[in-house]
Formats: sequence, structure tokens, C-alpha cells
Amino acid sequence: MSLAKPLPRLSPDNEPFWEACRAGELRLPTCEECDKPHLPPGPVCPFCFGAKLAWRKASGRGRISSFTVVHKAWFPSFRDEIPYNVIQVELEEGPRLTANLVQATPEELRIGQAVEILFDKINDSITLPRFRPMAG
Amino acid sequence: MHSFKDTAAIVGIGSSRFGRKMPESQLALGAMAMRAALEDAGLERRDVDGLSIHMGFPLGPDYDRVAEAFGLDIRYVNQSWLHGRFVTHCLQQAAIAVSAGLADVVACISAVSFTRERQILGGDHDAEGTREEGGTHGESPHYGLTAPVGGAAMGMQRYMHLYGATSAELAAVPISIRAHACRNPGAVMQTPLTLEDHQASRMVVDPLHLFDCCLMTDGAVVALVTSAERARDLKQKPVYISGMQGIRAGREEFIFAPRGLGINQQSGMQIAPDAKDLAIYRDIDRTAVQGFYTYDAFSPLVLFALERFGFCGPGEAKDFVQGGRIGPGGALPVNTSGGLLSEAHVGGWNSIAEITRQLRGTAGPTQIPGASVLQWGTCWGDSILMRN
Repeated sequence: MSLAKPLPRLSPDNEPFWEACRAGELRLPTCEECDKPHLPPGPVCPFCFGAKLAWRKASGRGRISSFTVVHKAWFPSFRDEIPYNVIQVELEEGPRLTANLVQATPEELRIGQAVEILFDKINDSITLPRFRPMAG
Repeated sequence: MHSFKDTAAIVGIGSSRFGRKMPESQLALGAMAMRAALEDAGLERRDVDGLSIHMGFPLGPDYDRVAEAFGLDIRYVNQSWLHGRFVTHCLQQAAIAVSAGLADVVACISAVSFTRERQILGGDHDAEGTREEGGTHGESPHYGLTAPVGGAAMGMQRYMHLYGATSAELAAVPISIRAHACRNPGAVMQTPLTLEDHQASRMVVDPLHLFDCCLMTDGAVVALVTSAERARDLKQKPVYISGMQGIRAGREEFIFAPRGLGINQQSGMQIAPDAKDLAIYRDIDRTAVQGFYTYDAFSPLVLFALERFGFCGPGEAKDFVQGGRIGPGGALPVNTSGGLLSEAHVGGWNSIAEITRQLRGTAGPTQIPGASVLQWGTCWGDSILMRN
């Protein structure tokens, strides 16, 4: 039983995403042909099958589109945190990202809540994006 | 287009006992079910020349070990993976194989030891969530989201938000399915479930309570499939495979949400069933279906499956399931042996065995009077219509 939390698994397709997070930026793979961003990072544009992708900076803002609260300690490393939330955020640019909501009241954990990104450095290679409620 | 309507039939079914922490291995449970299925069909072990396996990595042995252990001589194999998504596929491949002459008799085998292997389903041993590209249920282990139920919670939370559905309304699903189980002496759960029990049960992954989650059990089921022609000469009344359609996939699909609902990369609002969802009713109309069987790993999946096949409109299943409609004696009984929620989790094959008994008229206390057309269909859109 490991007490270290699991880390995201890097692949050739998603490495630029995590590299941007390390630099404190949210970047989305965006098709140079049809201009649409997508998640999760894939090898081609899922909309037009275009092969040229550019990693464009995103606003980091969006709204909670679904969420859950985990009450069971599946991971020993999360045991002290239960119950904890996991959210999906619909970014202003369209794609959805899974993360946690932090610095929030229980009332702010709701579908439709406006949120903004922050970056939580875990170690030298991984920085996890999380979200907090938008001020005001 | 080649039609597989009534070209194949289930001619034998066999089960092990179902239960928790059973001492036997997966293979031993499978062997018990195989012996029972052969006896049921009046076939010999040497008659089986095809395997369609709904097990294998990471939950147990592959097809070659099964054939070796059972002393079979096989010339056709289909192996899927122990996921609800592949029950239909496994039975369909068996039907296609015997119809195409690739095999004479295909044994569909599902054998599970979930109580010994449960760490695979979530947590530090989450083999699914930690593979490259992650799991299919929306697993995000680095954010603490693991296990299939996490995805079901995400789907149900948004469904509740869009339609105003409540946990108390959802409770009608496990309560009705438990009522079926109480009539089945072989079901693991034997005491009625009340709304109070459901609401008081511990929250696992909000909004899903303990009783919205299936059992974790051990057991095996074998279904023997052969051509309709050969079936007519065998011991049992054949159960014909009268219609089939495959699983759907694409960016509008998420394993545990209705099409389009807005989980992961779905566009955001539920999409009503289209021609691909309803192709199953080409030869037999939905109104002829006397009972519906589905993969009820989590109670929301029953709502999503009913909407997928148009038994009611998007967002209406929460109302459709009230008032005993899907329970014993209801207008559309669902999972009459108790399903994964209350009979046992045998990869869904306990319901395939139940459909077979129903269409033979031998289901005993759970018998739907005059059952002649039953549907297996999942929230992913895959389906098989069966008749006697």
C-alpha cells in the first residue's frame, strides 16, 4: 500500500499539456486547420482529422459541468481527505477537464459555478491544475 | 445484407452457485457452470468446438487456459474483456460464428471471483485508471477519482441537475430489482429494500448510495449457442436470437451517461434515440417486449438504458420506474432474477440465464406469464432480442 498519491501518466500526446502546467499555463491542443481545441490530448484533431496541432494558451476559466464527492477511501493516500470532491469543468474554449475544486464553500460545489484555474506543484515534473470559484 | 434473425439459439445454460468469498477458483466455478450447461442441453463436452469468453485479463484466465483446463478441442474463439460493455458482443459473436459455420456449438463463459480480485476495481491497483490514456469510466487517479462507480456518479449528478431527478426517485430502481431477487431463491440478496434503507445507506460517491451499487460476488454462467437448425433437435426448447445490434462509440458517448449528456467531451445535452439506437426493433416492435434485461452495475444505468431504447423520453425514466412498473408484475419487469444489484454480479450473464429460463417457461417464482419476447439491452446501445 503506497502512501504516495498516483500521478498522471505521461504519453507523447499529452506531454505538452503537462509541460505547460509546469510553466503555470493551461494550453489546449488546437487544430491548425479547423481551429478547434480538444481534450483529452490526442494525436489528431477529432473534429476534422487534421494532423497539425498547435498548443494554444487557454483562459483557464470555465464552469462546473458535473461533480462528485468521494466518501470511500479507495486510495490509502487519500484516506485523510475523504470526503473530497472531483469536478468536471467546461472550459470557456469548450473542452472539459477533470480536476478538484479548492478554496471553496460547500455551496460553491454546484453545476454552473464559475471557476478559474490554479496550479499546484506536486514535484519537479508534475504540476496539477485545480480550480477555485471565480471571485465575485 | 445478411440477416441473423433466428439463425442461432441458446440451447443450454448452466450456473455455479453465486456468493461472496467462495473457496473455488474462477476456473472451478466455470467448470461447474459448463458441466451444468452441457447436462441442460443434452450435449457432450466434445460437441463444444467454439469459445466466446467474457473474462480474461485483468480478471482471470484467457481462452487458451480455459480450453486447456476443461480439455476442449476448439476451432473458433472470441475473447472479450470482463466489462459490461462486452456481454452483448460475446453472445453476438457466438451467434455469428454458428450461423457462419465457424463452429457448431459455442460455449459463452463468464466466470468471476470479484471478492478475491476486488482491488483491481479502483484504488492503488486500479489497472484501468493507470493505463496509458486512462480508464474508460473517467478515472483520474491523481485527483482521487477511481473505480467505475466514479463515472456513474458524474453521469447521475448531471442527469439530476438537468431533469430535477432525486436520489429518492432513483431508489425505485434498486427497490424494484430487489423485489425480483426476493422471489429468486438463488439470489444473494433476499430481504426487501425500502426507501428508508436506501436513503440511510452510506454514500459511496455522491449521489450514489451503497444500494445504488451492484454486488461484488463470485460465480459463473455458461450459455451454449448453436444453429437454429441443430437447436430444434436438442433437448430444450430453443431460445432464438431474433435481433441484434452493436455497441455505440464516439465523442457523444460516455460509458455511464446518456448520449450527449455532457460528461467528458459529450456535447452537453442529452440526444434522443436515433435510428442506430432503434434498429433492434426492425423485425420485432418494442411494444412486443414483455421484459427488459440490462447491465445494472449501478442503478442510474437502468434509467439510461430505458431512455436509450425509447421506452420513455430523455429525462423521463426517473418517472417511468415509479409505481412498480419495472418490478414483479409490472408493465415492464426489469432484471427479473435480481440483476447485478441483487442477484449476483456474474458479468451480466445471470440475466442471460434468466432470459433463457423465462422463454422456456421454467423461471418458477419469477416467471413472466406467457413470456415470448424479451430484450437484453444496455445503456451503451448494444442489444439482443430473444424469443421462443
